[in-house]
Amino acid sequence: MRTLKNIFGSIIILSLLVSCKSENTNQLKKVVIGISSDIETINPIYSFSVDEGVIDETLFLSLVQFEWNDEIGDLDPKPMLATSWEWAPDSSYIIFNLRDDALWSDGVKLTSEDVVASFDIYSDPKVQSRFYGSFKNLYTDFDEHIDIIKTFEIISPLKLKIKFLPGSVPAMIDVVFPIIPKHIYEKMKREEISTSEINFNPVSNGAYKLKKWERNQTIVLEANRKSFLYKPGMIDEIIFKVIPDYNSRITQLEKGEIDFCELIKPLDVNELRKSGLLKITSVKGREYDYLGFNNIDIKSYAEKKVIKKNKLFGNPKVREALAYAINRNEILTEYLNNFGELAVTPVSPIFKQYYDNQLKPIEFNPDKAKKIFADEGWKDTDNNGILEKDNVEFKFTIYIPAGNPLREFAGTIIKNNLKAIGIDVSVEKLELGKFLDNLYDKKMDAWMASWYIQIPLELKTFWYSDLQSTPLNFVSYQSKDADRIIDKLSIRLPHNVKIEYYKKFQEIIYEDQPVTFLYWTDDIVAYNKRLKDVTINPFGALQKLWEWRFIE
Amino acid sequence: MNKEILISVSKRIITSFVVIFLLASFIFVLIRLAPGSPTQKFISPQLSPELANNVAKSFNLDKPIFTQYIYFVKNIFTGDLGISYNYRMPVLSVVKDYFLFTLFFASLSFLIQMIVSYFLVKISFYKSGGIIDKSLSKISLILFVTPSFVLGLMLVYIFSVQLDWLPTSGIKSIYHEDFSLANQIWDYAVHLILPLITLSAAGIAVFYLYLRDSIAEIYNQSFIINLRANGYTEKNIFNKHIIPNAIRPLVSIAGIEFGILLGGALITEVIFSLPGMGRLTVDAIFNRDFPLVIGCSLIAGLMMVLTNLLADLIKIKIDKRLVKDLLQ
Repeated sequence: MRTLKNIFGSIIILSLLVSCKSENTNQLKKVVIGISSDIETINPIYSFSVDEGVIDETLFLSLVQFEWNDEIGDLDPKPMLATSWEWAPDSSYIIFNLRDDALWSDGVKLTSEDVVASFDIYSDPKVQSRFYGSFKNLYTDFDEHIDIIKTFEIISPLKLKIKFLPGSVPAMIDVVFPIIPKHIYEKMKREEISTSEINFNPVSNGAYKLKKWERNQTIVLEANRKSFLYKPGMIDEIIFKVIPDYNSRITQLEKGEIDFCELIKPLDVNELRKSGLLKITSVKGREYDYLGFNNIDIKSYAEKKVIKKNKLFGNPKVREALAYAINRNEILTEYLNNFGELAVTPVSPIFKQYYDNQLKPIEFNPDKAKKIFADEGWKDTDNNGILEKDNVEFKFTIYIPAGNPLREFAGTIIKNNLKAIGIDVSVEKLELGKFLDNLYDKKMDAWMASWYIQIPLELKTFWYSDLQSTPLNFVSYQSKDADRIIDKLSIRLPHNVKIEYYKKFQEIIYEDQPVTFLYWTDDIVAYNKRLKDVTINPFGALQKLWEWRFIE
Repeated sequence: MNKEILISVSKRIITSFVVIFLLASFIFVLIRLAPGSPTQKFISPQLSPELANNVAKSFNLDKPIFTQYIYFVKNIFTGDLGISYNYRMPVLSVVKDYFLFTLFFASLSFLIQMIVSYFLVKISFYKSGGIIDKSLSKISLILFVTPSFVLGLMLVYIFSVQLDWLPTSGIKSIYHEDFSLANQIWDYAVHLILPLITLSAAGIAVFYLYLRDSIAEIYNQSFIINLRANGYTEKNIFNKHIIPNAIRPLVSIAGIEFGILLGGALITEVIFSLPGMGRLTVDAIFNRDFPLVIGCSLIAGLMMVLTNLLADLIKIKIDKRLVKDLLQ
């Protein structure tokens, strides 16, 4: 017994000693960012997730840096590896002037050759880059590999011309990709890049470079003193700490063990505020939840590829009635603690110039919903509490992915709301893999999910009628009017006309209600008050980490 | 006799390998029949639709399951478990780091379970029927039924949040490299205290209860009474006669427990952010990383077989009469 006492006592004393040591080393400029899962790659060729994107942006710079302009609700290009650029009057090419002080972390100078090599590698099908197929406005071969000769003209080591496909509508976003080092990749076979050592030990050009990556533990970035972005006062080390358990992340945030954390649950905000150590803010308007209905008959489409209206959800009036029947405000206030706003259409309010303020969220009005159903012929003729029409009862299952408390809460509210107007709804949870399979294969009539929206605004992928070319139009929305607008938006248009088209599109969607748009959910972010110059806006919670400073 | 043992052990190893191969084949089929696809993450508004097809092709996922199985069997016999879809590294390289941690962590936990339960049993034996004995029995029952996530979070709340004595998670602090060697070792030690308690508590309770019951049974047997009548001391009887007899049934349980520990301790690893096999396996399943799932399962299966074999060998060492059982 005495031995046990001694062991325990020693451990406590020594742990206290180590704690003291920790306090002494707190003078080092290190920032710890808590993330929920480890990244899979540190190579921008393959990075997919948000965290990978953040780390890549810090390690690998692009020709220009996009910044969020809150006045207009759009991105502004700012000089980065390129000091300036010049568009051809007809937008057939763009000329970039590169910085002469941009260096790779191994000391080699960055030149136009690196830019060309980056595009070449990204578009090579053998490499399987995430950017593969993203070069529609450039000259490409049959396999979508960029035609280097036709596309690029190296005017000098620091001056480069990029030519666009005639008739295309190029934008800056078409040429903004992380630049990777030619002198490293030219030694490798393209097929072998995906499994090469460079994926874990990169040569980068950014404000930080990789110091250490301990799998499922930490990713440590250290300030790259050779970078033109390096300035005194910059944080010496940025550490991404993998903490899979949400409660542990919150505890560590409160204790000051980590400095920054995203995706805070609304119910924890008050508790975190009480600690006095943290600043709470949020990224708005990037993700919306929706109640999806298959607008077409899934059986006919699956068996014969014939598009027929869905018996329950094919009528826009019925979909509108469903929107009236659901109390979205209750979910917003009760669960989300008002960290979000009601969604009107898929166009986020963050796109201020394109967003149609005239359209208001559909109110919760069960009487109106009942009236619309009655007008459309849905009546409870057999008095069993369920509406029917042509011997078909209005009953369906809403599928939700398992492990999402918000959707479970929302599912219960929606079920009760719809039951009150005579619709029999059941809510069923599916494992995420199964849920996604069913979504892609159009095997569900109704479900609840969310979309994380792109910047800049993208509509065709989700709302174009041709289901073969738009597999992400899960609801199989069919509208010739919407298609016409989407087609027009893909050609060169004066800016004011473009804005008009975006607003017209929102009107069409508002009228058709292809889904019930529920709410935009905020990404709640908490960070230690010792940090300053932290930029958080709709473009992201973690951006331009090289600008972060400690309050002295 | 030695030759017979050798042949028997060899036979057992061969059968074990067959079992492991069948296990891998079963998982191979099962995970491919499960919903979800490894290329699902390549379908996104930001990505070209062709990319998912290209990736599927490069991993042979576009081929029929039987063809994929043939490739798998060919690879497995050359010791190649394939490339992890997510890590884009050979499976064995990915598993290596996680397994080393698990091996260390599980061994330490196992050792703690054995030692602590032994000492507790000893205390309880000497205070048999007293308040300590009764309390230990009750506490061990409570520990046994307490889910590890409850215990883990409770420990974090008490020792990390309220008392601020111990770190909440990870295996080392972010200032680890700035410490001296001695402090680095202690940094590891303090980080592992709460995870080890969480992981070991239930095991200690199990071993304690088994050993205590076993001892109680042997204690009343006639040969013990005989020894006592012959003037042997209680200490001598306990160490030389009761423990060796009582420990035998425990060895099999210990073998299974150690095998399970070596397969990973998911809950503890998640609560304390530890880089172990449990988390790796579950992440691989969620990401539909087929080669990695099979790699992790193989390791877990192999460990279970090895620890059981080891347990049998230990039993023979304790009691030579058990050789016959093994030979059969």
